[in-house]
Formats: sequence, C-alpha cells, structure tokens
Amino acid sequence: MLSEPTVEYAGIPLPEVEIFSHALLSAETTEKVLNALDPIENIRQINMTGESLSKNLNSGPAKGLPNNHSERKVIKVGGRDVELRYQVGAFYIELDVENEEKLNEAVEKIRAACAASMPRGFDLAVGRYSKYRKTLRDYK
Amino acid sequence: MAAYKRQFYPGTTSPAKNRRRVMDPKVKLKKLRDVSMDDVVRIMGHRNPGEDYKSIHPPIQEGKEPDCPIRKLVEPIEGAKKGDRIRYIQFTDSVYFAPISPYQRAWMYLSRYRGIDTGTLSGRQIIEVRERDLEKLAKEMIDNETFDPALTGIRGATVHGHACRLDENGMMFDAWQRYIWDKNKKEVVYVKDQVAVPLDRKISVGKPASMADLKKRTTIFRADGVDMRDDKEVTAYGLRIHKLRTLGGFQPFNVKDV
Repeated sequence: MLSEPTVEYAGIPLPEVEIFSHALLSAETTEKVLNALDPIENIRQINMTGESLSKNLNSGPAKGLPNNHSERKVIKVGGRDVELRYQVGAFYIELDVENEEKLNEAVEKIRAACAASMPRGFDLAVGRYSKYRKTLRDYK
Repeated sequence: MAAYKRQFYPGTTSPAKNRRRVMDPKVKLKKLRDVSMDDVVRIMGHRNPGEDYKSIHPPIQEGKEPDCPIRKLVEPIEGAKKGDRIRYIQFTDSVYFAPISPYQRAWMYLSRYRGIDTGTLSGRQIIEVRERDLEKLAKEMIDNETFDPALTGIRGATVHGHACRLDENGMMFDAWQRYIWDKNKKEVVYVKDQVAVPLDRKISVGKPASMADLKKRTTIFRADGVDMRDDKEVTAYGLRIHKLRTLGGFQPFNVKDV
C-alpha cells in the first residue's frame, strides 16, 4: 500500500545520518534515544526500521489472539505519543543543514546522544538512504 | 579386510570436533537442565499432560498388517506399535553462535534416532515422529547441550529471527515473544507454547550460556569465530564434493583423482 510520506519530500538530497544499533532495542531504550535526539537542532525527520511486531497473531491455531509483545507499545517522545510497531534496529535522521560545518556539528551531537543512550553500541554513517522527491510510484 | 569404521566429519577445529560429537550416537550429550516431561508436553501443545495419546490406526499387535518382508525385518518404534499420531517439534537456531545449527540437527537426528522425518530450512529444523517417541526426543533435545535458552527457540510457526541481531538481553528475536527474559532470576521463561497459544503457567528453561562458552560449544563456523577456511581438511572436503557434483553433472568422464 502506498501512502503519502509523513514529512514532505525536501526535493534536494539533504544528508541523512544512519544509526545502526548493534542490538535490537527495547521500547524503553528507543524512547531514551528519541528523547535524547529531540532537542538537537537541524533535524528534519527521524525514520526508524527494525523487526515488525504484529498486534495480533496472524497465523496458526492461535490466529487472532492478541500478541502481547512487551516491546510493542506507545512511547512518549517530547511529550507526544508515538506508537511503536517495530522492535527498532536503526534510525535514519534527515538533517536540514546548509554547510559542512553545521553538518559535522549536528552529527557530533547525534553521536553523543546515541552513545549515552545505547550501551550495546551502534554504527554511525552519513549518506542518503531514502528518496527525497516524488517518483513515478507517487503518482499512482 | 578390516571392518569399516564409521566416520562423521573431517577437520581439527572446534566446530568440526563439535560436529563429530553431536553426530556420533556413541557420545552421550551433556544434560544441562531438567525441564519436566509435563512442561515439554505443554510447550509443544499437541496434547494436555495426562491426556491419552490419540491414535490413527489400531495397534500393530492386532495383526492386521499385510504380509510384507520389510515389515518383518524392521522393529517398529514404540509409537508406531501403538498407532500414535505423528506430531512435530521445531527448533530455531540463531546464527550468533547457537550451540547447533539446523543442518547439523538433521545429521544428528538421523544419526541418533530411528523412525523420524526431519526437514531442514535456513533457520529452523522440524522433526516429525510418533507422538510418544517425539516427547522423549523433545525432552532430550531441550535438556541437552544442543539447546541454549536465549539462542534456540521452540517455534512451530513464525520462526523469523535466526539471522536478526540479538536484543539487549542477548535473546534471539521472536515476533510472537513465546519466551521472555526474567530480569530477577536472569532466566528465560516460556509464556506461550510453540504456536504462541498462551500457557497456563510460566515454564523456566534456565539461564543462557555465556558467549565465551557458546563459542567453544558451537558447531557453527563464522568469520568472527572459527573461519571454515582456517580448517584445511573441512575446506578440502567441501571443495571435493563441489567438484564431484559439478563435474558429475556435465562431464562425468573428467572425474579423475578427486
């Protein structure tokens, strides 16, 4: 199913920071990381990926029963509710920066925030990992 | 001529030695925990503990078998004698140094047990046996050294997780969370059966082993553990089979000195 992006495409390939965790994160740690990232300036959007957690069991004899996965819950980020549907393994942070200097500054802040909240370690890389303008599929 | 002595696996490195160990039926595997038979039955979820075994045919002793030389030759296993249903247990083994991996499970099962049917997939291994024999086998497999509470899962469906990163407690990912980490006891506890039907009560399967211990016990070759290429004999054995299969497929006349 195609849906509109939650944040409009920037139109230009702004840099993205990939935070690839060494362990799959609990909801509690995800909340900590997001709240640590929240005050950092120049962040345009944060996308998360990981392993999908279904709300109900989708096959087998127990089909239809609630899954009751402890990591599938609503977390609070900057005072707002965010519903987690994944056990998060990576963050993609799009930065709205004009020059290299601002970029480095933001990246260092992100690194420090993650280092403080992710004790099992992570890899950080700067690049472009998702699309930034409409493509054919958006006109379906 | 000297009698043929059965061989199991080549190599001198620790995963190669461990493979030989699990495959050799003369080696008694170490028992690391004791999950009661009733709890094993509950985790599998095929029948309730204490319930009678359902049967799919009358006992063989009733003598309604056709006259067949093979049937006379082969001693049936206990469940077959009684006409039990065929049920299954399926294990998922993490790639992060689980004590055993699915392929070696197949070798081990076939080398150690009779009357079984096993199927290998990338991350899981199903084994189908007559019900009462399955229960004995399942208990052995859960109790012995090929099972690690954190890195081996008992999963009938939605087995995804063997190649996922481990979670913060070092547990293999399970979308249905059949087992949870007990923070206080530092143990793994089953709360759902193998197809995620909630259990009446929690079943502890004990403490996971340390990563250092698992690296010694595993049958898995990994670049960040023991690299398969470091074991000359295993590499040569793999290459030989590869060469025989390839040449045998299209130039069998060139199979010489292999």
